[in-house]
Amino acid sequence: MSGSENKDINEVNSKWLDAHYDPVANLYTFSSCVALADLNGDGESKLVVGDLGSGASNMKLKVFKGTSLMTENTLLDLPTGLVAFHMDQNEPRTPAIAVASGPFIYVYKNLRPYFKFTLPPLEVNELEQEVWSQAREDKIDPMSLKEMLEGIRNKAQVPLSVRSLKFLMLEHQDMESFVNMHKQQPIRRQTVITCIGTLKKNMADEDAVSCLVIGTENMEIYVLDPEAFTILSKISLPSTPAFMDVTGQFDVEFRITVACRNGNIYILRRDSKKPKYCIELSSHAVGLVRVNKNIVVGCTQETLHGCTQKGKKLWTTYLPASIVTMGLMDHKSRGFQAVLVGLANSEVHMYRDKNLVNIIKTQDVITSICFGKYGREDGSLIMTTKGGGLIIKILKRTAVFDEKDTTPGPPVAQSVKLNVPKKTKLYVDQTMRERENAVAMHRAFQMDLYRLRLTAARAYVKALESNLTPMSSSASEPLKMNAVVQGLGPSFKLTLNIQNTSVCRPSMNLAISFWYDEKLYSLKTSFFKIPLLVPGLNYPIDTFVECLSDKGISDVIKVFVLQIGRSNPLLTAHINMPVSEGMALC
Amino acid sequence: MGLFDKLAGWLGIKKKEVHVLCLGLDNSGKTTIINKLKPSNAQAQDIVPTIGFSIEKFKTSSLSFTVFDMSGQGRYRNLWEHYYKEGQAIIFVIDSCDKLRMVVAKEELDTLLNHPDIKHRRMPILFFANKMDLRDALSSVKVSQQLCLESIKDKPWHICASDALKGEGLQEGVDWLQGRQIYSILQVLVNIELYFLH
Ligand SMILES: Nc1nc2c(ncn2[C@@H]2O[C@H](COP(=O)(O)OP(=O)(O)OP(=O)(O)O)[C@@H](O)[C@H]2O)c(=O)[nH]1
Ligand SMILES: [Mg+2]
Repeated sequence: MSGSENKDINEVNSKWLDAHYDPVANLYTFSSCVALADLNGDGESKLVVGDLGSGASNMKLKVFKGTSLMTENTLLDLPTGLVAFHMDQNEPRTPAIAVASGPFIYVYKNLRPYFKFTLPPLEVNELEQEVWSQAREDKIDPMSLKEMLEGIRNKAQVPLSVRSLKFLMLEHQDMESFVNMHKQQPIRRQTVITCIGTLKKNMADEDAVSCLVIGTENMEIYVLDPEAFTILSKISLPSTPAFMDVTGQFDVEFRITVACRNGNIYILRRDSKKPKYCIELSSHAVGLVRVNKNIVVGCTQETLHGCTQKGKKLWTTYLPASIVTMGLMDHKSRGFQAVLVGLANSEVHMYRDKNLVNIIKTQDVITSICFGKYGREDGSLIMTTKGGGLIIKILKRTAVFDEKDTTPGPPVAQSVKLNVPKKTKLYVDQTMRERENAVAMHRAFQMDLYRLRLTAARAYVKALESNLTPMSSSASEPLKMNAVVQGLGPSFKLTLNIQNTSVCRPSMNLAISFWYDEKLYSLKTSFFKIPLLVPGLNYPIDTFVECLSDKGISDVIKVFVLQIGRSNPLLTAHINMPVSEGMALC
Repeated sequence: MGLFDKLAGWLGIKKKEVHVLCLGLDNSGKTTIINKLKPSNAQAQDIVPTIGFSIEKFKTSSLSFTVFDMSGQGRYRNLWEHYYKEGQAIIFVIDSCDKLRMVVAKEELDTLLNHPDIKHRRMPILFFANKMDLRDALSSVKVSQQLCLESIKDKPWHICASDALKGEGLQEGVDWLQGRQIYSILQVLVNIELYFLH
């Protein structure tokens, strides 16, 4: 990356300081797997990242301090979400980290593995269980096992376990060994976690104890106890949750907003076991952020919608590119909230309600966004890129974002009462006159219009007759010409491109003549013949023009295409010469 | 020295102390540095983040300094400018380990240098690249590069690496500052003499 490119980007984003950019930080992650937390309780926030790695095995839990990697732990499976939360009242108040991965939540305290939560197993299909127990007793061979499982798969209410599904994908020769390897173990069916969030237990403080809230592939939401990790509450959804936002307190009142894979957003409340409100989107959600009390959701159709927490749509904004990721910018010390939207065109747009207030151009497409306190700086913006880079920007202390009209609904101007004056006598008379003389007035207007058209047509004909245009109109010699001037001066190269536009008639006996101010320019030859022009071909004709003045002035050179034996030019072109930038040679 | 004393007294330099502004981001070690410069019996044991600002005094062999130890926290940084007029010299402290916030330090320094109360004055600026004892600290050369100090043309400046906990590097800086103050007093005297000669 070149320095000048960097500078351009800086100038556009004068609201942000470029604190750090590492294009090869080797961080491959999404917004759901990034968190900022004061892990050591030393007043310095660390960056915690669930890194998905680039291969099948490089999954890591990474912690950054300042510009450098502080620690890393290997993860066993791809992380789907990561949150920092306080699980107890112990001093010092350092948060734990929860990493959701497959059906598990790995909880880390002081960056050491502390607890592993496993989702409760799901009900197993009885027929499937029956079939496998027959297989265990060797009553059926793998082929018939396969047939029976296929039968169950096609009509059963309860879906098959992962083991049976894997078995059904096997080639004939691998079946036997697979059955022998697995038949002794009981069948388990498990779902996986799709999203994770936190919910304060019964206090609103920043460092209050929080429950984990998880959404699962089998369309359920669980709220877990912060210490015992037992399931405190379970809510069913009509579809699989993909993005989730949680607010409130578990014991008092809370609200869970989930964007689901069926393209709907559901809003759940404490007192109801079923979704309270539903927002139907016209396309799938790709991100969900809550700003104050409103929900902002980004959709695949390059749109951003704002909704109230009761599910009423407030506004829609159209974006210049598709959304890759979204994040909340919550600058607590300034009481400023906005939505950050990472787009596929390597820009991050900042919206306050529907108003775009800032654009950050980045070196690569942003895949994760996290804003908050990093180190000691409140206004830090952490972003990771598609190519594995890490970008850290810091909001300038003096930065202010233009507050455009942020009130939702019609613009203020619309509700201002206009001071409409009373109808005057003159006005009434005029209306009367217009009503009575409508026909005459229309005729007068039509007449003027025709006159105007006539004048325009006459001017056009005159131009054509005097061949002032670079297109020859004479039917016998249809020609086209354009001119290009090259060079900085005092010598210019003038290239005339002449083309015979007739279908099959070659043009003969043509000549070119130049008219110019001889005090200003000199041309080697100001008159020459041009060869026969074959129809359709482009003939570039070069001449050299010398500018004689060093006073920085320029003039027009006129080019005439003439036919020998005719006094009128076939066509004329006016070339506006550029100012000579070099020193005149005389 | 009779004349010097008389003139100094007449100019009011002798009685008036040198006013110094101590600026820099929070946690850079400003209070720790000022504390270390005070006589050992006046030093505080516990140093807590400064709220707003505090006024401290210390003496060197020939001058007495009054220091405005400003808080470096973001929300107090807008207080700095109210004291620019009174300051005769600046101590700017940088945490040489805080690589992430070097840009923030630079931004604050640039804002400071462009402030109308500072811009056209030849006031000396002493930089401390503090916390040099820590393992990943940047050298004073690196710090001065990152802050683009070489572009400060119209003010005398000096940078020292320092360890405020042990007090290393502080004396060098203060000696330079003192030299600068005496130099400027002498310059005033020379100007006055020239005035009388003409
Ligand atoms: N290792 C090391 N630590 C230092 C040094 N100087 C200061 N510290 C530590 O840095 C921390 C902050 O020091 P302060 O003097 O309070 O910083 P400050 O610049 O006055 O901060 P504010 O008042 O908030 O603007 C304290 O914990 C000091 O002990 C140093 O040279 N080396
Ligand atoms: Mg302090």
